[in-house]
Amino acid sequence: MAHYKLRKAEPEDVTDILRLIKELAKIVEKEDQVMLTEKDLLEDGFGEHPFYHCIVAEVPAEQQKVEGYSVIGFAMYYFTYDPWIGKLLYLEDFFVMKEYRCLGIGSEILKNLSVTALKSGCNSMHFIVAQSNEASINFYKRRGALDLSLAEGWRLFRIDKQCLLNLSAEE
Amino acid sequence: MANFILRKAEPKDVSDILRLIKELAKYEEMEEQVILTENDLLEDGFGDHPFYHCIVAEVPKEKGTNGFTVIGFAMYYFTYDPWIGKLLYLEDFYVMKEYRGFGIGSQILKELSHTAVKTRCSSMHFIVAEWNKPSIEFYKRRGASDLSLEEGWRLFKIDNKIKNKAKKKK
Repeated sequence: MAHYKLRKAEPEDVTDILRLIKELAKIVEKEDQVMLTEKDLLEDGFGEHPFYHCIVAEVPAEQQKVEGYSVIGFAMYYFTYDPWIGKLLYLEDFFVMKEYRCLGIGSEILKNLSVTALKSGCNSMHFIVAQSNEASINFYKRRGALDLSLAEGWRLFRIDKQCLLNLSAEE
Repeated sequence: MANFILRKAEPKDVSDILRLIKELAKYEEMEEQVILTENDLLEDGFGDHPFYHCIVAEVPKEKGTNGFTVIGFAMYYFTYDPWIGKLLYLEDFYVMKEYRGFGIGSQILKELSHTAVKTRCSSMHFIVAEWNKPSIEFYKRRGASDLSLEEGWRLFKIDNKIKNKAKKKK
């Protein structure tokens, strides 16, 4: 089994975090939609008020399967609020490089997130999954996740920047 | 048109906020699932690190119903999209039925849009129950797109019972 460790991301990890965000976006053929820069990630994650938190999975230099990269997985999360039950941990992105899958790293990350959620007084962890992503859906269901869209009929909506500008300028 | 003002919620508003949360939950037939207390709302919204923000809609005392002058609210917080950065997430949004049809909801949404633009959010996100046709129409009229329909997103949860089990596993 590969030796690896999980740790809180630090400012110097933003290059690897962005690389992994782009790798994950590439899988769904949306790499060109990643507008974020390392500078954004630095300001938004490591400033006075972090808008997100990250755990990274790191392997020692001698265990690298892909040259030059020791950070081989990450999870991005933040805290949200449910008006019925209070604080929630929201899992936004979660990715392990394909060369490092099936080694239990993903499971360990999820366990780490569960501990964080409980320690921070959260009642639940929420996340969205694309309905076409059967592998991920099964991964989560095996660990007890419930599909709220199926069970309770929730649909995700968006009002994009242009509409926000239109609405805020309306008389 | 009703006279009303919109303002940032203050600590003293937590009883009204909880009352309106329960009214909205009742409309969704889920009132018994509201376990949050006024104390939770106070600590979580008005402490060192607020987990949510609220706008409230208030009418003058003489226009109030049963002594209530806070007649609508919106609860929101900031989330993060790894492709485009900060988002404003609209969590709850409700105007008491006696005060509907006066443009209060539209004004709240306009205020939220303004906040989102000011804080450099790329987008506003929120979820709506698929059976809630009036709300879906309200949002669609204002340019909202249904990402669940267009992109197939489904919301999942892992709750505490499961998390506690996972924590105990070696």
